[in-house]
Amino acid sequence: MIRLSDLKISYRIGNRVIDAVDGVTLTIPDRCIVGIAGESGSGKSTLMKAIYGDIQSPMYLSQGRIDYSLKGADGRPVTSETIRREWFRSLSYIPQSSMNSLNPVIRIREQFIDFPGSDSNKKRVLERARAYIGKLGLPAEAMDSYPHQLSGGMRQRVMIALATFFQPELIIADEPTTALDVVVQKEILLLLMELQEQMGNTILVVSHDMGVHYQVTQKMLIMYAGRVVEYGDTDGIFSDPQHPYTRMLIDSLPTIGDDSLRGVLASTAGAGGDRAFRVEPHLVEVKPGHFVARGEHSAGVAA
Amino acid sequence: MGVLAFVAKRIGIYFAVLFIGLTITFLLPRLMPINPVDGYIGQLQSRANGTMTAEAITELRSTLETLYGLKGDLFTQYVSYLKRIVFSFDFGPSFTYYPQPVSAMIFNALPWTLGLLLTATVIAWLLGNMVGLVAGYFHKKKAASILEFVGILLYPIPYYILAVSMLLLLAYIFPIFPLSATFPVGQMTPEKFGMVIYNSLLPGITLVLAGFGWNILSMKALAVATTEEAYVTYARLKGASNWTRMTRYVFRNALLPQVTALALSLGMVFNGALLTEMIFSYPGIGLIMRTAANGGDYNVLYGAITISIIAVATAGLVIDLLYPLLDPRIRHK
Repeated sequence: MIRLSDLKISYRIGNRVIDAVDGVTLTIPDRCIVGIAGESGSGKSTLMKAIYGDIQSPMYLSQGRIDYSLKGADGRPVTSETIRREWFRSLSYIPQSSMNSLNPVIRIREQFIDFPGSDSNKKRVLERARAYIGKLGLPAEAMDSYPHQLSGGMRQRVMIALATFFQPELIIADEPTTALDVVVQKEILLLLMELQEQMGNTILVVSHDMGVHYQVTQKMLIMYAGRVVEYGDTDGIFSDPQHPYTRMLIDSLPTIGDDSLRGVLASTAGAGGDRAFRVEPHLVEVKPGHFVARGEHSAGVAA
Repeated sequence: MGVLAFVAKRIGIYFAVLFIGLTITFLLPRLMPINPVDGYIGQLQSRANGTMTAEAITELRSTLETLYGLKGDLFTQYVSYLKRIVFSFDFGPSFTYYPQPVSAMIFNALPWTLGLLLTATVIAWLLGNMVGLVAGYFHKKKAASILEFVGILLYPIPYYILAVSMLLLLAYIFPIFPLSATFPVGQMTPEKFGMVIYNSLLPGITLVLAGFGWNILSMKALAVATTEEAYVTYARLKGASNWTRMTRYVFRNALLPQVTALALSLGMVFNGALLTEMIFSYPGIGLIMRTAANGGDYNVLYGAITISIIAVATAGLVIDLLYPLLDPRIRHK
């Protein structure tokens, strides 16, 4: 369980302060796949960085707190201060640019053991990792390859293997399939779902692709201009979207022959700027487990 | 392509480069409208006040042409030139120090030049890259910009000004090092070796300082760019230590262009030799080249140029053979 309480994450750029995540309060339960959707600049990645514990200048936590239900290696509960020690132990990360997230001049096997989260018995780790990547549909020789010898899909499988090998309780996947073609994308997503079912952990998936959210996630978080506009079960959100912004996002899934949305801008400015929708930071529970932000809807754009 | 095929092909190219280089060295002076034998005979004739007979001149001409490899038409000369260089590394005698053979002069001077310049170039490269790496990796920290400042300060100073200032400072104002180096001759003993090191220190330091700055700046720029790469960010998010990320991620990737730069500067050591050896009266190839150029000593120049060609080509060969070990992406092409 991850509890965000009135969380405000800001960037200091020169004399300006930009609140990329602006007052988010919500609880993410254990053992589920949560999708985070929203346009570029809505604060998705910043929120993920904050949850992962990667808060460094010019980004800072200006208000609120994050509580984890994770236990550290020393048995004490993990906090935002100690979470770095848990990286690739009890929580891990699947990066956006899987194509070049592996060091090109070092073999894959070396990249399984060059961080402290990895067991100090390197030989045992490698033996187990070799067997493990087989389960993920990779040949054992992939361990002895250099990244450029693997295809894009194989590289993404390596990233998933790295992220899941240590059986973390939380995985953050930042647009894990953007660089892949549709067929490979589906394979990767199915793999991710399968692994989540086996491990019973929580995965946060950031994606622009509403189709991905529909297929993969159990819960969804819609972000807009640094705030959460809607949060609930994926089925509920798709069948009965409460917020006009959510509705627009869902309607943005193209249907052949329909070009009614052409030319409609969701917002006129990004995070911290003017909002086309006025979004209150407080969420209202409209149905059990389905939260929505109230506010004067459609201030600028006809929704 | 197999490893053997790659090495064989590269060595083939190496010999082709040497061959073309030697051919150009052979042709260039012969395309000039001056004939050294005529010039030499003219000198002798004027010294002898024109008393030499026509037969004596013909005989002298023939002897000189054999001696200097100028007998026969261009092709015959070319074949015998290649034969002499390839089989016995023979460039004929020096004009100025007749009858001392050029190859002996070069082989005497070569260890000095290589010892000083290769060592200094490699040390400058190692130090510069280490400092540049730290400056680049920690480029967001204020303290790191001091390291870069060292590079910016040193890099633009012309070598001759740096060398003369160092000589003034460390040999004249503070006489730590000898103003004019003296080098022992004959059999090397530990004592003499120490003397050689002591006398070579000052030119060595100036060379390191001169090469150091550029290496800092270029490594810093490469390291800054590499720290922005997705794989370095990912390594950080894996929790990899600063040391791992700096050495195995940033350095290993930023190193590749720097190795090329090292190869080029190693090939060019003979260019650097000229100025250093003049300023510090150091008995290497540079000093010989200068004397030869002043005295029109073609054979010595031939020899020195040939050595330079061999050096550049060899440095290229070594780097090409080394590169696949450093960059797997090249290995598997």
